[in-house]
Amino acid sequence: MHPGLSPVVEVDDLHVQFGDARAVDGASLRVMPGEVLALVGESGSGKTTLIRAIQGLQKAKSGVVRIEGREQAESRNTAVQMVFQDPTGALNPRQTIYEVVAEGLRIRKDTGDEKEMVKVALSRAGLRPPERFFQLYPHEISGGQRQRVVIAGAMVMEPRLLLADEPVASLDASIRGEILGLMRQLVDDTGLAILAVTHDLGLAWNIADRVAVMYLGRIVETGSTEELLADPRHPYTRALLSVVPETREMEQQILTGEIPDLTRMPPGCRFHPRCPLFQSGTLPDDISARCVADDPGPVPLYASSAAACWPVMASAG
Amino acid sequence: MTITSLAMQRRRATAGRLWKQFRSSREGMIGLAVLVVFALMALAAPLLADVRELNPVFARGQGNPQWAPPSEFGPLGTDYIRRSVWAQFVWGSRVSLFVGLAASVLTIFIGSVVGIISGFVGGKTDALLMRITEWFLVIPFLPLAIVLASILGRSVWNIIFVIGVTSWPSTARLVRSQVLTVKQRLFVDRARSLGAGGWHIVSRHILPNVSGLILANATLAVPISILTETTLSFLGLGDPSSASWGKTLEEAFVNGAMIRNAWWYFLPAGIGILIVVLAFTLIGRTLEELANPRLSRDR
Amino acid sequence: MSEPMLSVRDLEVTYHTQGGPVPALRGVNLDLERGGSLGLAGESGCGKSTLAGAILRLLPAGTEVEGQVTLDGRDVLTLNPGGLRAVRWTSGAIVFQGALHALNPVRTVGDQIAEPMLVHKTARNEKQARARTESLLERVGLPGHRADDYPHQLSGGQRQRVLIAMALACDPLLLIADEPTTALDLMVQAQVLALLSELKEERDLTLMFITHDLSVLTYACQRLAIMYAGRIVEEGPGWEVFEDASHPYTQGLAAAFPTIGDMSSRLAPSGLGGDPPTPGNLPEGCPFHPRCPLARAACTVEEPALRSSGHERRAACILV
Repeated sequence: MHPGLSPVVEVDDLHVQFGDARAVDGASLRVMPGEVLALVGESGSGKTTLIRAIQGLQKAKSGVVRIEGREQAESRNTAVQMVFQDPTGALNPRQTIYEVVAEGLRIRKDTGDEKEMVKVALSRAGLRPPERFFQLYPHEISGGQRQRVVIAGAMVMEPRLLLADEPVASLDASIRGEILGLMRQLVDDTGLAILAVTHDLGLAWNIADRVAVMYLGRIVETGSTEELLADPRHPYTRALLSVVPETREMEQQILTGEIPDLTRMPPGCRFHPRCPLFQSGTLPDDISARCVADDPGPVPLYASSAAACWPVMASAG
Repeated sequence: MTITSLAMQRRRATAGRLWKQFRSSREGMIGLAVLVVFALMALAAPLLADVRELNPVFARGQGNPQWAPPSEFGPLGTDYIRRSVWAQFVWGSRVSLFVGLAASVLTIFIGSVVGIISGFVGGKTDALLMRITEWFLVIPFLPLAIVLASILGRSVWNIIFVIGVTSWPSTARLVRSQVLTVKQRLFVDRARSLGAGGWHIVSRHILPNVSGLILANATLAVPISILTETTLSFLGLGDPSSASWGKTLEEAFVNGAMIRNAWWYFLPAGIGILIVVLAFTLIGRTLEELANPRLSRDR
Repeated sequence: MSEPMLSVRDLEVTYHTQGGPVPALRGVNLDLERGGSLGLAGESGCGKSTLAGAILRLLPAGTEVEGQVTLDGRDVLTLNPGGLRAVRWTSGAIVFQGALHALNPVRTVGDQIAEPMLVHKTARNEKQARARTESLLERVGLPGHRADDYPHQLSGGQRQRVLIAMALACDPLLLIADEPTTALDLMVQAQVLALLSELKEERDLTLMFITHDLSVLTYACQRLAIMYAGRIVEEGPGWEVFEDASHPYTQGLAAAFPTIGDMSSRLAPSGLGGDPPTPGNLPEGCPFHPRCPLARAACTVEEPALRSSGHERRAACILV
C-alpha cells in the first residue's frame, strides 16, 4: 500500500435503476493504489452492475464514479481494465494470442514498440517464452493460460485499476493459486489496484487487503480482511462466513429463502427479514424496533471499517 | 520474421487446413468439379462454338436445317430458326452463370450490410430496417420481380438488379440474427473495455464471426439467382439479345419443341441448370458443415 | 457386513471421438456401503462425470466400457434394456447440475418431476403423481404450486431443488449428485447441501457426491476419493484426506482452499503449476509427476497403484 496517495477509484453514493428495480442503491467504496479490495456479494447484490458502472458501461441514475479523481464519463477510461470470469468466452476464437494482447494498443493507436510491449506483457503474466504464444489460437492453450492472456491484454494498457469479476471461478482449483499469486504480484510490483468481485471468501483471504460486503445494492460492511473475516460484525457477513466450508469454528447459520425481489425492498433494514440476529429474539426491544422501521443506510464512502447494522452501531457508540 | 509475415503464415496454414477438410467431403468435391467444368466451358465459349451461330440470319445463310436432331447436325442439333443448339448451350452458360453470380453478389452485399447495421446498431434503426425487410418478404416474390422487370425493361443488368433487390431480405435476417448472437459474446465486452468503438468491433469481431455464415449463404444464393433468372427469362422478361438457358427454354416452349418432341432443344438447357444448381448446393452444404461442425453430426 | 450398495471393479471407459480413442477412466475400483456417503473430487479431465454416467450406463453410444459395476446386487453393465430401465431412477438416480439446460424449457417443472413416476409406475395415475410431486417439492423447500412453473421462472437455487425432487421421484436407493452446487451462490449452496444431508438421513439414502470443489465435500461426506487422469489417486475418511493428505496432488488441491484465519495462507495463494492433463495425452509413469513437487526419477517409469497409507486409507504414490 502506498499511504498518502489519493484513491484510484471512488464510487460515491451510486444509484442505478432498471425500471423499478434498484440494482445499486447508494453504494460507496474506494480502492487505493497498491490495494486489493474484495467485493463480496451473492447474485442480486448489484455487484455486476456496480463494476459495469465503474467501467463506464452502465449509466447511473445518480451518484458519481471517479477514476483517479476525474469523473467517469460514458467514454471508457483505459485506466480501468477487466479480467473476466470466463477466459474462454473473453477471447475471440479467431484472433491469435498476439492479436488479443495487442488489441488494446491498436485501438488507442499506441505509438510504442508493439511487439516488445506484447512480449513483456505475456512474460509478466507468466507465459514464457512469450514468442511461443504469438501465433497460437485460444483453443490451443489451457484455461489457466487463457486467463493469463486476458491478464496480459489488460496489463499491456498499464491500467491503474484492474476489475476482476470472479477471476478464478471457472478455472481448475489446482491452478487458482498461481493466477491469484500472479495478480497479487502485479499489485506488489506495480502499485496496481484491484477490485475483485467474488463470493469466494477464500480468495479474499488469499489476496485481499480489504473486504466490502454487498447486499441488495449497498455495501453493508467493510473492513480489513483480517478484521472482517476473523470477526465479522454485520449479521449477513457472519452468516456468509459461517457457511463457507473452510471456516469451521462458527456454527452454521443458513439463511432461509433467497435474496428478495429488487422491486420490493423490505422496510427498515433490508436484511431484517432474513437476519438471524433479529430472529433470535435476543435484541433489546428498542433496537429491534429500529431494525423494522429505520433503514441504517449504506456504509459511507470514507469509512474504513463499518457495518450498516443497528445493533452493531449501538454497541459501538 | 516480422509479425505480419508470421500472421500470414498462420492464415495460410488455416486456409490449407480448411481446404483439406473440404477435400474430404465427396459431395463438396463433386460440386466443385462440376462447377469448374461449367466455368471452363463458359470461359472457353469462343473456342467451343462460333458466336455467329446464335444469329438466325447467319444460321440461314449457312444453310442449317430447321429442327434438326443431333444425328443430323451436331452436337446438339438446331432449333426452329436454324440456330445451333450447342452454341446456345455454351454461350447461354455464360449469361446464366454471370447473372447468377452477379445477382448473388448484389443480394449478399445488400443483405449483409443491412443485417450488420440492423443487428449492431439496434434500436430504432433496427426496427425500421426490419420493417422494410419484412415488407419485402411478405410481398410475393414473382409478381414483384415481374412488375419491376416490366418497368425497368429487359436487359441483363436489369435482371441482375431485380433479383438482387428482391432476394436480399432473407440474407439480411440471417446475418442480423448472427450479429445479435456475436454481439453478446464476452470478447465484444472485452473489446469495449479496451476502448473499442463501433467500427473496430464490427470489423474485427463481428465480421470475422459472421463471414462464414455469409459465405455459405452466398453459395446457396447463387443457384437461387440462376433459377430466378431462368424463370424470368422463361416468362419472357429476359434480355432478348442475350442467349441464356432460360431464354432457350422459353423459345423452345413457345415454338412447340415439346409437341415436336425436339428433346435436343430443351433438355440440354434444363439439365444444365439442374446440374449447376445442384453443384452450388453441394458446395454450399459442405461449407455450412465446415462452418458449423455440429450440423454434420446431426445429418 | 452387508453387501455394498455400489461396487465398481476395474472400470475402464474409452470414448471414441473424431480425434481417436480417449481413455476417460483407466481402472477405477470403489465400494460404497449402504447408507454411506462418498465424495468424489477432481478437476477437468479426471473422469468423475464419466464415472457417474457409467454407473447408470448413460454414456454416449459407441463408448467402450469394461469392468464391473454392481448396484444393489445387480450387474449394471450386463443388464438387458428392460432390466436397465428398471434400475434407472428406481435403484439409482442422478441429480445433475442445475443449469438452465438440465431441464426441458417447454414443460412445466411438475410434469418433469412426475414423468419418471409415471414411466416406472411408482405412481398409479396422474392424480397420484401430481400429489406426490407437490409433496416432493415441499420437501425440497418449494411451495407445491410451483409445479406449474416453467424452468425459466425459477432461480438457479430453485432449479437445483427441482432436480433433487426429480431424482427422488422413484425413491431411489442411491443418489448420485453431479456438481449440484456449482454455479450457485454461497448461501444457496449451503442450503442445498443441508437439504441433501437431511434427505439422506430421512430416507436412508446412499449418496455419491461429485464435485470439483473439495471444500464442500468435507462437510457432506464420510469418505472422500480424489480422482486424477482417469483413476482414483487417494481415498479415505473425509476430514483426514482433506486435512492430512497422503498424495501430493491432494495436498496441492487442498491448499487451494485456504482456511480462513490461518495466517500461513494469508496473502499467500497456493496451488500447483502446470495444468491437469488431458485424457489421451498422459505423461509416462505417474500422470501427476510433471506437476509434483516431490517427483523423483522412479515416478517417470511406472504408474503407482493404490496402496495403504493409513487406517482405511489408500493413495497411489510411491512415497506412501
